[in-house]
Parts: sequence; structure tokens; C-alpha cells
Amino acid sequence: MAAGSMNLVGRAGAGPREAAVWSRRQVLLTDLRSVRGRAYPRVIGMMREPSWVMFEILLPFLATSAFVFVYRALQAPQEYVGFVVLGGALTAFWINVIWMMANQLYWEKSQGNLELYFAAPMHFMSILFGMAIGGIVMSSTRAATVLVIAGLVYGVTFTVDEWALLFGVFLLTLGALYGLGMVLASLFLVWGREAWHMGQLLTEPVYFVSGLNFPVARLGMLGALSVAFIPLATGLDAMRQLAFAGAAFPYGTPSPAVEVAILAAMTVVSIVGARWMLKAMERRARRDGRLSVRWQ
Amino acid sequence: MSALTPAARDGSATAATFDLARTRGRGFSDTLRTFAVSTRLGWQLEANWTDPLLFFIYSIAKPVSSALILVVMLEVIGGPASRSFRPFVVVGSALWSFVVSGIAGLAWAILEDRERYRVLKYVYVSPSDFLTVLVGRGVARIAVGLAGVVITLAFGVVALGVTFDVGRIDWPLLVSTSIVGLVVIIALGLLMAGVCIQTRQESWSYPEAFAGALFLVTGAIFPLTVLPGPIQAVGLLTPLTWWMAGIREALFPGGPDSIGGAGSTFAAWFGHLHPTAGETVLALLATGAVATLAALAIFRLSDRRAKRAGLYDRTTGS
Repeated sequence: MAAGSMNLVGRAGAGPREAAVWSRRQVLLTDLRSVRGRAYPRVIGMMREPSWVMFEILLPFLATSAFVFVYRALQAPQEYVGFVVLGGALTAFWINVIWMMANQLYWEKSQGNLELYFAAPMHFMSILFGMAIGGIVMSSTRAATVLVIAGLVYGVTFTVDEWALLFGVFLLTLGALYGLGMVLASLFLVWGREAWHMGQLLTEPVYFVSGLNFPVARLGMLGALSVAFIPLATGLDAMRQLAFAGAAFPYGTPSPAVEVAILAAMTVVSIVGARWMLKAMERRARRDGRLSVRWQ
Repeated sequence: MSALTPAARDGSATAATFDLARTRGRGFSDTLRTFAVSTRLGWQLEANWTDPLLFFIYSIAKPVSSALILVVMLEVIGGPASRSFRPFVVVGSALWSFVVSGIAGLAWAILEDRERYRVLKYVYVSPSDFLTVLVGRGVARIAVGLAGVVITLAFGVVALGVTFDVGRIDWPLLVSTSIVGLVVIIALGLLMAGVCIQTRQESWSYPEAFAGALFLVTGAIFPLTVLPGPIQAVGLLTPLTWWMAGIREALFPGGPDSIGGAGSTFAAWFGHLHPTAGETVLALLATGAVATLAALAIFRLSDRRAKRAGLYDRTTGS
């Protein structure tokens, strides 16, 4: 029986009941391992199938180029080309948030993994953090490549006075974006089959209201609302102001310092919201017993 | 070793026999039935479960937003002077949503059946022709894409001030380019389906990425003349370039041209500034035939490799 217990729980002399009582250290280490475990397939998967280089970097670069040529056709000032390039780089994160964060739990449910996540002895937030870290690594590669290649090919000159602030804005934008992705992951799971179309609804329409290829201030009140509530719009506007300091384009939006505060608030609210959503989802799952029913 | 029972061999009974003719199917009528069933299935998967109003919003939000992005870009730089260019970008972005729907529809059918519903291998070994099933599954998304085109054009006329006169439409040019263009888009979808058979779950974004790359060379949202010469040449060899030019010319005769113009590669090759309607249709037919045959060949190659490597059985996940 003692040997059986050891095999069962991996610790000599501990019964299942004792083994279920974990120290804080054990909990933390298991959660950290879960973060690494969920990030692993995303990071390693990049090396295992090189086709992503073509489809995730080269072709999106060409799509970004199309908008560069619209401005060239209009003989726009060079900084507008820079806007497009910066916007094109940031779309990598937004696409990742929508399709590989927000939609992911719904996918996991369809594939039968979700119940395994719930049954595993870890906090579900570690799965979401793992997805986010893996996604950030994947998207950063694409974003950096688009930024460097497009910057060189189209001769974009960045005029940065405050590098530290720019880097801080970038990190906060990632925090707010992936925090939003964590909230949406639970929401999309509840919405079920609507998730796919919600993903579609959150791409081009969000690009438009976020001013992906033009200064968001041109949208007036709609642009102001975007800056207040959509991290892509806030981060993009703040980064444009910092990366093209002194450029002649309509501002009309808050200063980068204010946008930093908005992004920080978004990050905190979204992570707390994601935690709350997960708890609500678990409650609902227990009540309805339908959470792991596939294809609904 | 006969497939017939002894009773059947001596003619005393017809029951319990294996009719070899049944394995050959009923030819074209079977193909039609397969197409109809897979089209219906595609539509049910796409739309039967949602609220019609929500589905309508989903279907038009993307193309309308794409058009709005371009219209604001024009306004930011050109102001009121750029409004003559609006029909050009509205038609281009509306048609492009149709291209994306068509290309993605077939590729996503492969990914949905393999990764999500895990029935691809069963569909493949069923007596239905796989190619017909695939095209049928893609039709629903093409239909949704077509609705997006019509609504975006209507939105352009009503909300964005695009001047449109139904009486001026060049119907023969519109019909001929539409039919050939549809075939080409389905062929490109087949090409991406062939690619997605070989790749893994994350291929969901591949069709859009492929379409995004074509966006650059087809003159969808800006005239080809702003591109470097070699890229203009790639554009002229792409059937979608001619399809877009044909539809534009049919809907807005005499409007801005995406192919020709002073200093364009077209002008250098053909000796005049703008393609005529006949040239547009001929070029679409020629480039479309090459693209369609190439797409079919690539799909067949991918199909053979998938059978050898067991890729129809495979589900991935990350």
C-alpha cells in the first residue's frame, strides 16, 4: 500500500490526502512549469515547421507593402509610410491575440484538451500566461521582421527622443493586448460557435477604429473612444507619437504619458477581469455541465 | 474467385449478389448530388446556427471596414480632391473580400474537417469525389463573400458618395469577367487547400496571408504604375489583376485604370496606354487558364503526397 501510494503521488510515505496538501512553493513551481509547458509548443513549433516564415512573415510584409504603395500613389509625406509599417508590425500581435488567445480555449474544447486543463493540478491562469508568452515570442519575431525589412526597403526613418518611454509603451501595450486576449478567451468559450465570427469581427473593424494606417485622431469621437478602450489603438498612437517625434500629422489624442496610464489601467483591469472570468466560467461549467461538450 | 454467389452464377437467384457496376457510380448525376450535398453542408456549418442579423453583421463588417480604412487614408492625404478615386478603392476592397472568402473557403474546409471535426479521412474514403466535396464546401463562403461585395458597393454609393449609374454598366464585360474570375478564385482556393493539406493547424491564417500578398500586385487598391517594373510584370501575369480591372471598367466605365497609364509596364509591352475591354477579357482567360491548371496540378500532387504520408489521418494542435 505504501509502495502504491508512492507510485501514485511520487512521494514516499505520503497518502493521497496528505499529498493533495501542497506547499506554496510546490504550487508556484507547478504553475511555472505549466506556463513553460503551454508556451513550449508555440515556441518550439516555430522551429519544427518552417512554412510559417513564408506565411507569417513574408506574405504579411507584402500585405503591409500594399498600404505603403497607397500612400506612395497619393504622394503622402514619408512619415505616413512609417505609420503603415508600425501598424503592420503591431497587427502581428493583434492577430495573435484574437486567433491564438481569444479563440484558443474554444479550440482546446473542440480538441478535448480543455477538460484535461481543468483536471490538472494547476491554476488555469498559468495556461493563459503560457499561451500569452508563447504568442508574444511568435508574434515578436514576425513584428520585428516586418519592421526591419519594411523599414529598410521603404526608407522609414524613426525619430525617437525617449527610447525608454517607447520601450515601456511597447511592453505595456503587450500587457494590455494579451490581458484582453485572456478575457476574450473565456468569453469566446462561452459564446461557442460565435467565436469564429467574433474573431472575424475583431480584425478589420478594429483595424479601422484603431487607425491602423492613419492617425486615429482623424476619426474624432470614434478615435477617442478607441484610444480609451482598445489597447491596439492606444499603444499604436503612443508609439507613433514617440517613434515619429515632431512629425507633421494631426495629434488630437492624449500625450504618450497619459496613454501610458491608460495602457497600465487596461493591463490591470484585463488581468483581474480574466481571473474573474475564469472563476465565473468554472462556476457555470459546474452548474450546466456543458463546458467540455464539443462543437457547440 | 468470382464476386458472385453460386446461385447467382447459375442464374437461379438475383439476391445477395455484389453488383460491380455500383462501384463505378452514376457519373455526372453522382457528382451533382455530391456537390449539392456538400454545398448545403457548407452553408449549414457557416450560417444555420446563428442569429440572421448577427450573421449579416459578421458578413459585411469586414469588407465595409476595409473600404473605410482606405477612404480615410485618401481623405487624410488628398482631402476632397481625392474623392474621384473613391470608386476605385471601394470596388477594389469590396472585390478583395470576395477573393479572400473564395480562397479561404476551400482551405478552411480542409482544416475544419481535419482539425476540428476530425472527419477528413472519412470524407476522403467515401465514394464521393473529394475535389467536388471540397468545391461544394467552399461555395457557402463564396456566397457570403458575394453578399459582402454587393453590400460594400451599396454602402459606397449610399454612405461614401460614390457615383454609380446602373444604365452605364457594361453587362457583357461584367458577366464574362465575373464568370472567369470566379473559376480563377476557386482554383486559387484549391491551391491553398493543397498547401493546407501539407501544413498544420496554424495554417488558418495562410489563405489570408496568401491573398494579402496578391493584394500588392493586383492593383486592388492602387494603380500598378506606382510599383517597380518587375513587380508590375508579376501583376500583369496574375489573373486577378485583369479580373479586377474588368469589373471596375464594367461598373465604372472610363474611371481610373489600375493596369495602364503613362510609364506603365502595360504601355511598354502593348504600345498603348490602357487595355481595351477585349484585351482585358483575353488576358484574363489566358492567365486564368494557366493559374487554374497549375492550381489543379499542385492540388493533385499534394493529394498524392498526403495519401503516401498519411496526412489525411493527422490532427495537429499547438
